[in-house]
Amino acid sequence: MAADNAAKEADPQTNSSTVKRPLYEGSTQYKSWRYSPEQLEQIRTSLNVAAVSVIRNTFEADEPGSSEDVLFLNANEEQLLVKLYITKIPQLCGHFRFPEEVEATAISYLKRFYLKNTVMDWHPKNVMLTTLFLATKTTNNPISLESYTSNIPKTSSSDVLDLEFLVSQSLNFEFAVWHAHRALWGIWLDLQSLPDVSEDLRPQDVYDIAIKHVRASRFTDAELIYTPSQIALASLALASPVLAERWADSKAVAGAAQPFSATLDPTLGSIKYIITQMGHPPDVEAVREVDRRLKLCKNPEKVPGSKAYLARQVAEQQRAEEKRNKKAEDVRRAVTEGGDPFGSELNEDEKAKQLAELDEDDD
Amino acid sequence: MSNRANVGGWLKGKTVRKGGITSNAHTARSSTPQVQSTSSTLFSGGVKDASGRTTEYFSMDDQCPVCKSDRYLNPKLRLLVSSCYHKMCESCIDRLFTLGPAPCPICQKVLRKLAFTPQTFEDLTVEKEVAVRRRIAKEFNKRREDFFDLRSYNDYLEEVEDITFNLINDVNIAQTEARILAHRRENAALIELNSQREEQYAQALKEQEELERQEKEQRALELRREQEIEREERETAQREIIDRLETSTKSAAKVIAKSRAEAMKRSSARSTTTTVLRSNAQLLRARAAQSTVIPDPPHVPLQDDWYAYEDLYTIRDQYDDMYSDAVRKDREGIMRAGGYRVEEAWDRALRCAVAGLDLLPLPGLNPSPGRTDSFVTSA
Repeated sequence: MAADNAAKEADPQTNSSTVKRPLYEGSTQYKSWRYSPEQLEQIRTSLNVAAVSVIRNTFEADEPGSSEDVLFLNANEEQLLVKLYITKIPQLCGHFRFPEEVEATAISYLKRFYLKNTVMDWHPKNVMLTTLFLATKTTNNPISLESYTSNIPKTSSSDVLDLEFLVSQSLNFEFAVWHAHRALWGIWLDLQSLPDVSEDLRPQDVYDIAIKHVRASRFTDAELIYTPSQIALASLALASPVLAERWADSKAVAGAAQPFSATLDPTLGSIKYIITQMGHPPDVEAVREVDRRLKLCKNPEKVPGSKAYLARQVAEQQRAEEKRNKKAEDVRRAVTEGGDPFGSELNEDEKAKQLAELDEDDD
Repeated sequence: MSNRANVGGWLKGKTVRKGGITSNAHTARSSTPQVQSTSSTLFSGGVKDASGRTTEYFSMDDQCPVCKSDRYLNPKLRLLVSSCYHKMCESCIDRLFTLGPAPCPICQKVLRKLAFTPQTFEDLTVEKEVAVRRRIAKEFNKRREDFFDLRSYNDYLEEVEDITFNLINDVNIAQTEARILAHRRENAALIELNSQREEQYAQALKEQEELERQEKEQRALELRREQEIEREERETAQREIIDRLETSTKSAAKVIAKSRAEAMKRSSARSTTTTVLRSNAQLLRARAAQSTVIPDPPHVPLQDDWYAYEDLYTIRDQYDDMYSDAVRKDREGIMRAGGYRVEEAWDRALRCAVAGLDLLPLPGLNPSPGRTDSFVTSA
């Protein structure tokens, strides 16, 4: 199909000079935020294990033997907590009346953040606020920090701003996200170009159901595994299999072995399964339990005011002090050692010769 | 203030007043303008502008620091500046210095009446600095070519700046003056040469300016003459029309047409004869118009190596789309930002809908990076 055309052009036998890469493959979403389900699980468990050992050590350093009875969270429980806070984002967006793009972007940021950090270090509550604020900025729907924090009870601006750089860093500063709701809109527009689909075959409520499925898919890991167009097509297939099949078939390249919809079926099937099984908010009771346990196994280094935090701060300051001294030393050496502070000219001898040859007399 | 008759004269021996040399004291006083330039009465020591175009500094709340009189009671108040850069009104100067040199009431430096000049800059420190720099520039006028390398030129510049700084801020004045003297003695010849060169340059510039001005005047004159001629001709033509209408028997329309044709002939004849008077700008334009027409190739959009899924969808002109209804119905464009086109939003959505549709999800635990399995290549 599309990639086939591109692949054909890359075929050396056709002697084509241009190799065109599909546009989606240039995006950071494709390059760095695309995983397989097994990979996701592995990342989460390894992150969790590493975090637990670090926190255990911090506990031990503080007070030997205290970490014996602390029940640390495991990866699934972390997942659960993150999922709860993901469900809070649409509520906030509705309150602020942010466009859907902001909501989708913020949810993506939150998911990606917790692929690089653990819940025990950074509680999702403030991270969620920060990702939402960041999303308003990166999608060009900014609001002032003032109006943001004043509309959310019990929040100060430092809650939001303190984590902003950390979040950006964890996202690797890759802020552009491709979303499934836009793909769904595109499919809906494109359906109008299909010759055999008349107006009454695509009623508005089909779209409404499909967009609900897209919103449900945001609570799952679907966007980390599949492309947004696939998710959109799967949502449409859940709402109206006929339309989805017709549209997919229209996108097939001539001469394929089977209709395109058939080739897509396994992928779409798994997406449909994910959406229907895991696309709803988590059980509040379970999450509350996790939260309670989190209070005990939080990383003390990140809690301002605790001993470990202060020790960490002191260590940081020492390191900064060393750096400063080193820099001052370098500067001092450069100044006192003489030499032209502006550096020397590149070809001094030539210039001197040219000048000597200049004859300004009028005779 | 005591002797009115001397007012016009005491400022300077060689007063050149615009109203004539024999203007009496009264008019001399009133012609001491408050805004106009009096630079013709300046002498060296103050800041002089040779072209006479800078105006004297003037402010409504001027006050003489010695006698505290201001413009309320004395609208013609004029503050002059001493060589030690202190301001005083003319009456105080008169009072203190008429009988010969006397100490300045502020800093006790001995001054003469001649040593007072009108002020050009609002800030006296600026005035002092400009005067110092002007003096230094006359003596220290070496140029980059007079030095072997950049380093020695920079050293020279640094020394000049050093001297200037000392003079402006009254630091080590005696020593600095000695340095200036030493420099002058060492480089007398070179200074002479450079100053001559600068003079010549200034002269050449002035001459060029003169020439240009004359040319412009001439062109303006010619243009005016031409306009006159045109006007006359038009009048005569009109009169002719009227006469002919009176006398001839032909229809009115034909008469007018004939006379208009004649007028055209006349104007075209005139324009060919007056080619000489074209200005430079017109000449250039004519030349450009005659030269070859600049080719205008059609716009080639950006070529890059990205495949944007164009063959997978065709965008239509109109869609039945509830999201963009409001924007499209908005006739006055209140809601739209500049450059926004709904077609572009639709295009983006359509592209999103087909982008990566055939990409297989990554398999297994350690897929090779950059693997782009698609359905067709793997099937």
